[in-house]
Amino acid sequence: MIKHNVYISPDKVLVDGKALTHNEKGSALLTELYRNNVSDYPKFFKMDTLSKLGFVASELLLNAEGNRDFEPREDRAVIFFNKHASLQADTHYQSTIQDPEHFFPSPAAFVYTLPNIVTGEIAIRNKYFGETSFIVVEDYDEKIIERNLKNSFQDPMTKSIIGGWLDCLDEEHFEAKIFLLYKD
Amino acid sequence: MGGRSMIVCVAHNITSPLGMTTAENYAAVKAGMSALKHYDGLWGLPEPFVASLIDRKAFTDDRYTIVEQIVIHSISKALENTGIDSASARVLFILSTTKGNVFLLDKRETGFPQERVKLGVMAKQVSNHFKNPNESIVVSNACISGVCAQIEAMRYLESGEYDYVIVCGVDVQSAFIVSGFQSFKALSPDECKPFDANRCGLNLGDAAATIIFTKKDKVTENEWVACRGAIRNDANHISGPSRTGEGSYRALKVALGDLKADDVAFINAHGTATPYNDEMESIAIERAGLAGVPVNSLKGYFGHTMGAAGVLETLLSMQAVNDHNILGTRGFETLGVTHKLDVSNQNRPTNKRAFIKLLSGFGGCNAALLFAKGGLHD
Amino acid sequence: MDELIYKLKQEIIEALNLEDMKPEDIDENASLFGEGLGLDSIDALELIVLMEKNYGIKLKDPAQGKEIFKSVTVMADFIQKNRTK
Repeated sequence: MIKHNVYISPDKVLVDGKALTHNEKGSALLTELYRNNVSDYPKFFKMDTLSKLGFVASELLLNAEGNRDFEPREDRAVIFFNKHASLQADTHYQSTIQDPEHFFPSPAAFVYTLPNIVTGEIAIRNKYFGETSFIVVEDYDEKIIERNLKNSFQDPMTKSIIGGWLDCLDEEHFEAKIFLLYKD
Repeated sequence: MGGRSMIVCVAHNITSPLGMTTAENYAAVKAGMSALKHYDGLWGLPEPFVASLIDRKAFTDDRYTIVEQIVIHSISKALENTGIDSASARVLFILSTTKGNVFLLDKRETGFPQERVKLGVMAKQVSNHFKNPNESIVVSNACISGVCAQIEAMRYLESGEYDYVIVCGVDVQSAFIVSGFQSFKALSPDECKPFDANRCGLNLGDAAATIIFTKKDKVTENEWVACRGAIRNDANHISGPSRTGEGSYRALKVALGDLKADDVAFINAHGTATPYNDEMESIAIERAGLAGVPVNSLKGYFGHTMGAAGVLETLLSMQAVNDHNILGTRGFETLGVTHKLDVSNQNRPTNKRAFIKLLSGFGGCNAALLFAKGGLHD
Repeated sequence: MDELIYKLKQEIIEALNLEDMKPEDIDENASLFGEGLGLDSIDALELIVLMEKNYGIKLKDPAQGKEIFKSVTVMADFIQKNRTK
């Protein structure tokens, strides 16, 4: 059963279907959402765009749920799907090693070259010890996401999931369609 | 577990520098062989490194990238003589990889369209090759992907949607991956030494490994059953392992369930040989009440094969139990973790029939999966 | 030296994405890790890259960083003595 949902694209933000007003677009929109809705988590600025997107989307989702206590819990999973994995971070890291004359591989860039880092960022923020997972598919497919998340409740402890589509090609092209799903 | 259906391994393959079949790989590891070699100047990298690399020249089908070719080889070998129709809609492909065709991002690589760097597009090459009509899924959960992909397979089979799930884990090393781990100061300048007092980092490795599962109501004594597993997060740091082993401990607890520690032949740990990982695992294993169970790591033979590791290390552990053997931890000499783990660099005998595969990775993720030969008996 | 300290602060802010911080906000004698700026292990690795990229200093042993990254002043002092560019 879906309890809440959040949609973010470079020029549109919906929380439970209601539009949120904003001034910025693209990755600047994510920073605006952070400043207006979070503001006390400077690690946000170190994240790649995929993680920023997942982070602010999950914050909006959890604010909609309310009663945030940040108590450690193991019964909530974070499971996302997308098409571009960590391609933006990959391209950024590649740029730090492309030129042999200017070869300075960046550890801060490299760590984001895994799509599941965003699930870890959300787990850290909210003290979730539950399942975290990232699955890549060729294209958005609601059925695959639905079936997969339904299967994820086979875990003996999982009672709710922050899940859905979380894709980022670059700072101007991204989409979050995530929701809070409860075990039936 | 009488009456309940079980998820059973029906076929498998390991493709690595140590061999092109599971049997070849097991024989090499049992004999103490390692594929780790020193490389200096390879791929234009300024720093030398030690890795386990597949001979790229042995793969000559230029329709596919080296990564795709190794996957196709591994799955083809696994499917041999099984009678499984890979073109059936009742068969699902699950790939496990961290970086897939990432080497294509290098501007000097021109042999393939950039599209192929997308993991879903890469997976499509593979499923098309086997004429499979389903959308494949790619599990990309850092270094625990290979166990996560097997847990996904168990769930899909449990729900009855498919008759067979083909899981293939793969990663092929490149300047991208090696330089990244170098920037993390995570690579050992020599062959790695898991759980050793003088360990100073990991080695990377190429491999693909395939395991095919189905669901059965009855299993014979010699069939391998994937019993239960879990994925848990440390909720601590995106690259540093937890100081309390939080995620690994919790994943181990679910995997062990009501089985007695005494019935576990060994824990095949992640054992990357970085100072923090091995220490974290010792804490988690202790906390889970498993400190008395033998622990081994296979990184000294293959290096860290990333997306392949979960499948490759599972398969070798199955072969070892079949052979009543606990594989020695190559590179280990003196225990160098806080909690007293039972680690040896020698092969040791066992008559037990179950083992736990344990992994951890960036993003704070951890996974554990319990396997039992002939299934669990109440 | 003061000039180097100021420049280093700017470079640290940029390399570590310390959004909303100005060089004036960093106390050059305060600890970079733990209570001071609250940097973590990835930041430490990134500072190693910064020293190599901007000053041509290669740290052989990353453990050396512990001493060098005590504060901006200590770091600037080390750079002045060891820089190759």
